[in-house]
Amino acid sequence: MANRVLDIQDLHVSFDTYAGEVKAVRGVTLHVDEGEVLAIVGESGCGKSVTAQTIMKLNPMPPARIVSGTIDLAGHDIVKANERAMQKIRGKDVSMIFQDPMTCMNPTTQVGKQIVEAIKLHRKLSHAEAKAEAIRCLKQVNIPNPEERSKQYPHEYSGGMRQRAMIAMALSCDPKLLIADEPTTALDVTIQAQIMDLLVELKEKINTAIILITHDLGVVAGVADRVAVMYAGKVVETGTVQDIFYRNSHPYTQALLKSLPSPDTTKEETLTAIPGTPPDLLSPPVGCAFAARCKHCMQICLEEQPPEFQVGEGHSACCWLLHPDCPPAEERGDQG
Amino acid sequence: MSQEVLIRAEGICKYFKVSGGRTLHAVEDVTLDIHRGETLGLVGESGCGKSTLGRTMMGIYTPTKGKLIYNGEALDLHSKKDRFRFAKKAQIVFQDPYASLDSRMTVGSIIEEGMVIHDMYDAKGRQKRVEELLDTVGLNREHANRFPHEFSGGQRQRIGIARALAIEPEFIVCDEPISALDVSIQAQVINLLRKLQKEMGLTYLFIAHDLNIVKYISDRIAVMYLGSVVELATSDELYSHTLHPYSKALLSAVPIPDPDKEAQKSRQIISGDVPSPINKPKGCSFCTRCPVACDKCRESVPPLQEVRPGHFVACHLVQPGQV
Repeated sequence: MANRVLDIQDLHVSFDTYAGEVKAVRGVTLHVDEGEVLAIVGESGCGKSVTAQTIMKLNPMPPARIVSGTIDLAGHDIVKANERAMQKIRGKDVSMIFQDPMTCMNPTTQVGKQIVEAIKLHRKLSHAEAKAEAIRCLKQVNIPNPEERSKQYPHEYSGGMRQRAMIAMALSCDPKLLIADEPTTALDVTIQAQIMDLLVELKEKINTAIILITHDLGVVAGVADRVAVMYAGKVVETGTVQDIFYRNSHPYTQALLKSLPSPDTTKEETLTAIPGTPPDLLSPPVGCAFAARCKHCMQICLEEQPPEFQVGEGHSACCWLLHPDCPPAEERGDQG
Repeated sequence: MSQEVLIRAEGICKYFKVSGGRTLHAVEDVTLDIHRGETLGLVGESGCGKSTLGRTMMGIYTPTKGKLIYNGEALDLHSKKDRFRFAKKAQIVFQDPYASLDSRMTVGSIIEEGMVIHDMYDAKGRQKRVEELLDTVGLNREHANRFPHEFSGGQRQRIGIARALAIEPEFIVCDEPISALDVSIQAQVINLLRKLQKEMGLTYLFIAHDLNIVKYISDRIAVMYLGSVVELATSDELYSHTLHPYSKALLSAVPIPDPDKEAQKSRQIISGDVPSPINKPKGCSFCTRCPVACDKCRESVPPLQEVRPGHFVACHLVQPGQV
């Protein structure tokens, strides 16, 4: 079995605001193995970015607060780690690339220098060695003329190049886990395709575990090995890419996939929209969070949160429909 | 669908002056017909001029060169009177529903404003019309007294659509109306736009960069690159017989939400980035990234010509008769 890099158990994260406690993450259990891409998909506000930031403890605490749960990252207990310990872990064991590469780089420092900085912080290398290493990193992400490019400033790079440089920087200390938070959302499709190919290539070459956060199911289908679908602060379904796209069993996953037009959708078909909007996490519903928008909703869905049901090997979903005692659709009078 | 041309852009150019006395060529010599009742999709990467073209075609920008012909009548966009008249026929739905609604006005007054300007109905009639419009776009009548911040992104976009519909336009420019919305909400707005088109016979210019959605909603699609239209065809034709090298790369770059198809698909990656519209390459604008560019492409600009019935391509290597 491959090495487990990250193991999150029943994580709860809340934000204390003037309006009250916003329960952004409400019990997330996840794991990622070496050399595997886990995609976390969901709508904005479903808690996918908060989960990722909590792994690196990047969200300011307060207002954020880890209510309960454990995060085990390559043997480090993240929940208990203090800021000093986190500084050693960030960059070395886990690093992150963000949606907008322009705001994440120092505009007044040469790109090469920024990478050297990270390398010298975590690895015992001389300045010349670190410089050579930085150029190797830029080369690894297919930046042409890395020697000259390393002396340029971020504004001299195009959007796609900047994202490559960010990836180079993130990988410069051989992290065990790379978190990519919407890495292609700000890019054009042709550039997005270049970055997606790069991620797949790097995964095969350096065997890092990658968490890919996105709302684009097309990107997921092209890059991910496993998928976790999040809704209102919870993972509602998790499984391999094949499980999620072809054998999905949570009504939210099904509705999400159906709401997208595929290249084969004809003009006569109407898109199956999901009615309503996601719930307010200031006062999350008592039962299943998706119940109000679900066309299979039963009485129990409104009263009690569904536990996790195993659907297959490594494939599970949280939905009362999967309960062994759940009556068949006809008996429930299900219209769906 | 009728073949009657509702709006025709003829040789439209739109340049912007930028610092250092340079000129940004946002839209370069675009000639485009939009038929009554159809949806024309406009796709391309950011900075290719699709929004500028959209805004020029509804009169927000005055074209540097070229003219607009509406219903067979040339518009003088420098005359205030013509512009005012045209504004009654053409409306726009913006991308960002957070920035495009005045946060200090109630939803009712936002929707009503256009009718006041164009002197439609009396106060009572306008109020009735606002209520009807809220019904039409799937909001409650009571929402008229609320402010935009009280609504979610999808609901705001519905308000934006109601505002555009208020003065009964014939032509609506949808400038990336769903890009800022969540996946589960996008389908709601798309279905609404299609329903309205069917009921009111509207004509859409639909600007987007999500090619799967554009294919679904459009009758015809125009692909833009660096200010020019490089390919124009019906959406089925464009997807089944893609001819321009840029369109081919663009279409193959779109990720399909289906892992098996993604794995089988041969993706044609084009290297490099879009050149700057301030300093355009000589000849074909795509020649710097084109995998099949030849000497001719670097020297002269290929014209947009009909190579198959209803299928226009601007490429030296795709000539009528060869296809």
